[in-house]
Amino acid sequence: MLFSERSIWTMVHGIGLGGGALLGLAAALFYLYAARPATLSTETHTGSRAFATVTVFSAVMLWLAVIIGTYIIFPPYRVAPPPGTIDLSEFPRSLILANPNTVWLHAFAMETKEHLPWVASMLTTAVAFIAVRYRPTALSNPAMRRMAFTLLAVSFAMVAWVSLLGVFVNKVAPLD
Amino acid sequence: MATVSFSKTPALAATNGAAMAAVLGAGIGSCAMGAFVLLNEAGLFAAPTLYGPAGGVTGRTTFATIVWLVAWSVLHARWKSRDVAPGPVFTWTVVLLVLAILGTFPPLWGLL
Repeated sequence: MLFSERSIWTMVHGIGLGGGALLGLAAALFYLYAARPATLSTETHTGSRAFATVTVFSAVMLWLAVIIGTYIIFPPYRVAPPPGTIDLSEFPRSLILANPNTVWLHAFAMETKEHLPWVASMLTTAVAFIAVRYRPTALSNPAMRRMAFTLLAVSFAMVAWVSLLGVFVNKVAPLD
Repeated sequence: MATVSFSKTPALAATNGAAMAAVLGAGIGSCAMGAFVLLNEAGLFAAPTLYGPAGGVTGRTTFATIVWLVAWSVLHARWKSRDVAPGPVFTWTVVLLVLAILGTFPPLWGLL
């Protein structure tokens, strides 16, 4: 078999859901940057609908990513090897901790990945709620635009950061 | 000249309270995440593990999510039909976010 079940879940988590969230967040930020404020025209209304769609999409991608990451990806990552095990390739955390040069991949990268994406999910959900509930005015209200842009920008930075850390971890200790 | 409104939900768009509740609720939930992580690292409070194979992270993230949902619900109930000044809400949310980022930043745990 070309890919193991664990490897497929890792790809779904990182590439599918994490990548999808990044694309959605980038699109939402673009809408906020490009849409003209202070006008309530039909054109803006159309943009608001697309903005609502893409923020809801991003929030769903993020929640699926954190739930799958926590409950499906993380358990096989942290499973402890039986005493006396020499080949640690099936035990990513132990493999990383066995080498002083890669300890940071657990102590910093994985520890960050455990919690920060949940914050991004909350922030994106808040913006998605605003985009849906205030759809006709979400793009034209200056205060809402500023808040939405800030929260989405922070969320995008967090997701990009933890995605990069995930690439590092998976490069050294892949879930094969 | 007649004025034409394109708003389909004028009642919802009339006040910003629901939006402010969502924003501040997210800030509170984020800060709760940082707080639960810090308390755990300091050995003061460890949220119970809810799924053994995944360890304590399941308790911390679930507890923070509950705090987020409760805070959002309470704020929403109080603010949904009101206009709330966005400035203080935005400032507090940013402060709470900074605290959340600090709380989930592993290098800081060594200082505890």
